[in-house]
Amino acid sequence: MLTEGMKLPDATFPVVTDDGPRTVTLSAQLNGRRVVIFAVPGAFTPTCDSAHMPSFVRTADAFRQKGIDEIICISVNDPHVMRYWGRLTGAADAGISLLADAGAEFTRAIGMDYSNPERGMLNRSRRYAMLVEDGVVTRLHLEEATGVCEISGGEALLAAL
Amino acid sequence: MTISVGGKLPEATFVKLGAEGPESVSLGSLLAGRKVVLFGLPGAYTGPCSTAHIPSFIRTADAFRAKGVAEIICVSVNDPFVLKAWGEATGATAAGITLLGDADGSYTKELKMDFTAPHLGLIGRSNRYALVLEDGVITHANIDEPGVCDISTGEALLASL
Repeated sequence: MLTEGMKLPDATFPVVTDDGPRTVTLSAQLNGRRVVIFAVPGAFTPTCDSAHMPSFVRTADAFRQKGIDEIICISVNDPHVMRYWGRLTGAADAGISLLADAGAEFTRAIGMDYSNPERGMLNRSRRYAMLVEDGVVTRLHLEEATGVCEISGGEALLAAL
Repeated sequence: MTISVGGKLPEATFVKLGAEGPESVSLGSLLAGRKVVLFGLPGAYTGPCSTAHIPSFIRTADAFRAKGVAEIICVSVNDPFVLKAWGEATGATAAGITLLGDADGSYTKELKMDFTAPHLGLIGRSNRYALVLEDGVITHANIDEPGVCDISTGEALLASL
């Protein structure tokens, strides 16, 4: 289960680019760096679209001014969906990295998975935001409910740094 | 079951985004006593699906209706939020095509149409096929080889009617 002080497990994520597919290794993004990671239940789902992603688009520059090297959004979606969602929400233009946990391996490994079959949501991620320093979680803002975006929003995490 | 002409599709429950949020749709209720076109594809926002497969059914939707087809249904292993966004972005929704999410991939697996390509982040997705069904019985089946969008297009299926 995800907690402050925890070293994140390594994971690989497929990414789709104009030059074809490639793989991003999480440890390579985290080692020796200060990184903000936030996770959403799904691209194009209401709260994620209307609140969570925009809060990090708004605060991306402020995080960088505080020495954050990278802002990463993780969702259990495929990389094709994530790529379009990143374009449509302005996340790509804001320099936010979108990583697709396509098989939910990372989300399950940190105990953040949930399912709501009636909504067609299976093995998706709970909503959280965290500061990760050299691979270790130093601040964790985990929402109690997936439909809420309060403490996991960009402004709330920024205020805690 | 394996898809074959003369066979009957298994009962399945899909999910779609209605006015009040996600809702369940019984395949049997859509097929009973009707002539229906049903096609499957690997995923919303994946390259060839957006650029070739869906547009081929948008182009031919009226011609299918002129041949007595009561409904055109696209099934994909996606959640209903992604499918709704994709249907609006591609024009499929405006063309009257029904998009149904096989969210957990169980229907696609039962048809033996599933494939997995981890490097593309596609897990338990659907190969391309297009069917004509009369009262639930398959009267035409155009199944493409993996990675190909040829005989499962709208034009190819229309030509076989």
